[in-house]
This record gives sequence, C-alpha cells and structure tokens, in this order.
Amino acid sequence: MTRLKAGGPAIAKQGILVAFIVFMIVFSLMSDRFLSADNMMSVFRQSAIIGVMALGVTIVVIGGNLDLSVGSMLSFATVLVVDLHDKIGPELAIPVMVLATLCLGAVNGFLIGVLRLNSLIVTLGMLSVIQGLVLIYSGGQNVDIADQRGTWFAIFGRGAVFGIATPIIIFGALALLFHVIMSMTAFGRRVYAVGGNPTASVFSGIPRSQVVFTTYLISALCVAIAAIILGSRVMGSQNTVGQGYELQVLAAVILGGTSLLGGAGSILKTVLGVLMLAFIQNGLILMGQPYYTQWLVTWVVIIVAVWLDVAAKRGRLFSPIA
Amino acid sequence: MTKTMKILLASCATIALASAAAADTVRIGITQNNVGIDSYQTTYERAFIEAAEANPDVEVIVLDAGGDVARQISQMQDLIQQRVDAIIIWPTDGQALVPAVRNAHREGIPVVVTNSNIADAGMDFIAAFSGPNNIQQGIYSAEMMCDALGGEGQIVQITGMPGYTTAIERQKGFDDRLAELCPGVTQLDIQPGDWNRERAQRTMETFLTRFDQIDGVYAGDDNMGVGALNAAIAAGRAEGMVFIGATNFAVGYDAMARGEYWGSVYQSPVDDARAALQTALDVLAGEDVPKLNYFDTPKITQENMDQFDRPVF
Repeated sequence: MTRLKAGGPAIAKQGILVAFIVFMIVFSLMSDRFLSADNMMSVFRQSAIIGVMALGVTIVVIGGNLDLSVGSMLSFATVLVVDLHDKIGPELAIPVMVLATLCLGAVNGFLIGVLRLNSLIVTLGMLSVIQGLVLIYSGGQNVDIADQRGTWFAIFGRGAVFGIATPIIIFGALALLFHVIMSMTAFGRRVYAVGGNPTASVFSGIPRSQVVFTTYLISALCVAIAAIILGSRVMGSQNTVGQGYELQVLAAVILGGTSLLGGAGSILKTVLGVLMLAFIQNGLILMGQPYYTQWLVTWVVIIVAVWLDVAAKRGRLFSPIA
Repeated sequence: MTKTMKILLASCATIALASAAAADTVRIGITQNNVGIDSYQTTYERAFIEAAEANPDVEVIVLDAGGDVARQISQMQDLIQQRVDAIIIWPTDGQALVPAVRNAHREGIPVVVTNSNIADAGMDFIAAFSGPNNIQQGIYSAEMMCDALGGEGQIVQITGMPGYTTAIERQKGFDDRLAELCPGVTQLDIQPGDWNRERAQRTMETFLTRFDQIDGVYAGDDNMGVGALNAAIAAGRAEGMVFIGATNFAVGYDAMARGEYWGSVYQSPVDDARAALQTALDVLAGEDVPKLNYFDTPKITQENMDQFDRPVF
C-alpha cells in the first residue's frame, strides 16, 4: 500500500541506523546528561558484557541456529573463574575456565552441528543443564574474590587503557575482528551460506557440520570473555548471575536486524542493537522513569525496529499478501 | 548368597524396629522453594536437617520444589497422602499455593509457612507463619540511614526483583519509616537491582551520572549494596557516601569491616530454619501459637559487627 520512497534504497537498508540516530536525538532532548562523555563511556562499558555475548550469538544465528544457553553458560563461566581465582590464581583460572566453557560450546556444536538436532531444543535444554552444573559445582554458595583491590584480574572489568575502559576496548576489538571474519574470510561466507540454504551449501562442498560446530565454539568463547569482564567488574558471582541474559542478547541480535531464519545479518549492526538497548535502559533511568517503562519501551522499540527493517527490505510498510 | 540374605533380613528388621519406634515421634514434611539456587537456601536446608536430627522425637521428610510451582503443589499432595503430622512450606509463589494449603487444612494437617508468607487469601488455612519481618527490616534500614546522615541528605534506593514480596515489604518499611523519622532526607529515585550485583552496579552508575550529590544508598540486600559500592568506588565518589543494605552477606560484612559499608540487617538462615521447626513443634504440641512468628533480625553496623559471626553466604 504505502510505498517507501524517501531516501532511496541505500538509506532504506539502514533502518536500524536511522532508528538509532532518531532515538539518540529524542533521548538527548529529554535529558541533558544523556550525551555527556561520562554517560556515553558508562553505557559503553555497561553494554560490553551483553555485547561480547551478542557477537557470538550473531554468528550462530547467521548460521541458521539459535543459542539460548549463553545465559547459564555465563553463570557457569563467571562462577568458575571467580572461584578458581583464589584457588589457583588468575593466570591459571582464566585458561581453565575458557577451556571448560569451550567444552560446553563443543557439546552444543556436536548435538546441533553433527547430530543435526534442533538448536532451539538443544540450547534450551543446555540452558537448564548448565544451570544445574553451576549449582552442583558451587553447592549454591556465592563465590567472591577475597583480595579485590590487589589482584591484576581487576584490569578486565575495572581497568582502563589510555583512558578508555578495558571492557569497551575488548568489545570494540572483538567486534572488529568478527566483522572482518564474517565479511572477508572464507569461513564467514560459509556461515552465511550454511544459514541461508543448508542443503545448497552441502552440495557446494561446504562442510556444514564443521561450520555449525565452529559457530558454537565461537559463541562459547565469547561467553568466556564476557565472564572475565563480568567476574572482574563484580569481583564475585551468584549462581544465577547470567539468568535472563540470553533474552537480552537475543533481543540485541534481533534489533540489529539479523534474520532468525539464518543467512543474513551483520556484526556491526548487532553492535548498534546492543548499544540501543543499553541506551534505552540508561536513558529511561536518567529521565527518572519507573522500571516497568523499560520493559515496555525496550520491546516496543524492538518490534517497531524489526517491522521497519522488514518494511525497508520489501519496500512496503504492510505485507503485499493480505 | 546366604550371607547377603542375612544382611538384607537384618536391615529389614532394623527398619521395621525403627518404624515401630517412629510411631511415637512426629513426622513433619517440608517443601522448600529452591535449594541450591543461593547460599541462604542451601544453608537453611542444612540447618533444618541438623535441627531435626538433634531432636530424637522428630522425623522429617525434606523436599524441594526447585522453584517450580507445579512441583510444589504435587509435593503438597504427596505429603497429605503420606499423612504427615505437619507440613512446613516455603512457598514458591504465595498466591498459587493457596489451594494446596487449603487442601492440607481440610485434611486436618497443620501448615506452617516459612520464610516468605502465603498470600492473604491463604492466611485462614495456615497454623502459623515463621520468618523474618521484612517490613521491620526496612524500618531498621531507614533508622540506620537517618542516623548515619544526621537527618539531612539525598539518597537513592535500589530494590530487589519487582513483584517479590520481600522486595516490596522492605521498600515499604523503609519508605514509610524514613518519611516519618527523617523528613530532611529525600529519596532522589528508586530503581530495581533484581537481587543481582551486576545489575545493581549498572543502576548505580546511572544514578551517579544523573545526580551530582548522593549522600546515601539503600539496597534491598547486601549483594546489591556491594554492587552499588563498587560503582561508587569506580567513579571516585564512595568517600563519605553511606551504604545501607539488608540480609547481611559475607561481602557486605567484609566491606563493613573495611569501613566502606555502614550497616545492614543480620538475617541468619540457621535461625530461620530452627524457628520454622520450632513453630511446627509448638503447633503440634497444642500450644497457643500466634499467627505471625518473627525471628529476630537485628541491625548490624560497623560499631556492633564484632558481636556477629561472618555470614556463611
């Protein structure tokens, strides 16, 4: 019905970017602190944990699958690294935790990539299984780092390099790295191919199982890195610290326009999605809005953004097929 | 083979004898909320079993709903079927468990609710409630805040998970008492931290951006309070800021020992568990038990903290 004409196709494809800019303008008009350098840095730093996880999940989703296990995987990795910090020291705790988390990713990858089980079922199951593992490991006790001021482990969550907080640097560097991998390497093209048309990709000689397996390893690696930031920032962990993060991560990925059907999406747009969610939460508190407006606004924004994105792609606001 | 048989027979006989002996004891079933999900509930279960074992007249059936309302309802039915003498329940949901509690009441089995209370609609069907007084805890925190600030200042509040009774009651106790006792202290804003330290840290960071002057922070528990403290330290603004929490955690206790954290409310899961068992025993002994039984949760501050053990959670 309503043809979208303004801006031409180039701008129409950048629906999320346009939405982000409009949104930032609206919020900055409502609160004078919103665009202050301090607040920008604070929000960037806050978004790093969800952001790093969202990078990995974006790759999984482009590959045509889902990963809902990242929330409890984050609890697992954070509890492990914080607990081991005092037992074997951070220089050993970090590699041990990364390896253990990669093992969980490998289980996901094996079940979904090799056995070809449905990713929604497997990772939903793993969400629960891993939470169980955490509770078995910790016996329900919170874990804390005793010497919070003295440990060099603090660098990841609390430190800064050249005045920029380390979490921002880690998030930024990983985003660039994954952007290059996804847009410029053979592996990246394979992930898009597998997600876009699994059957065709196999006939084209792409080792589909291997590609899917690798996407889950990447996702687990991202969770491990997020856990280092989280553990270092909080210097302790509850057993359920990552509970619900899987949905925030998925929301950011969807907001970034990555198709849940696979085969389409962008790392850099996920970064926009992550920042937009973080700015929504931050902006509403700055304006003194009660917490429940965050729940409302966040999902209204996501649904509108997804709609605009779809509308931009088909050139119409409403579906041509009634 | 015969040896094994003998052992088996001997064991059976022992069990039979034990059961016979058990006829004189009381059987109490407990269905807990979600053991293992946090240190408080884990310690509670351990303390409850220890307290029961220390009493030769008590036999307990210990169940856990794993946070699942449906599972807790069927556990209630199982306990009713087993004809236990009394049921202790830590409700996964104060509203949804009312029919299950009513069933037990109809079957003549007294129900003691522990830790967090059943909804008002269920109050007629329970024998007693045993647990902390969360409104009183909020009142204590308000009094400590007023004290620490000398009656003047601007504060922010970080609450627990929206919708949780504990969170609502602590906030109510705090808000009401602060307004009444300390009109010179204003609350700049109230936002949730979802019982999550990282979330509380994020909320506090935004508060620090938004307000140039924050004199005090009240958090719904120490876990969140320490998250807020972390944020203030990182921003270089913790000096002179008053942090008051509730449910004293080990991290809060340690921060208090370092002089960074003003005070909290001491709530021991061991006291909570013992009080629940004792309340059930009092009900069974036919004593006149009040409907609401609160165990003591005193104020803990930098001054008096040496009278308390470091919390195990």
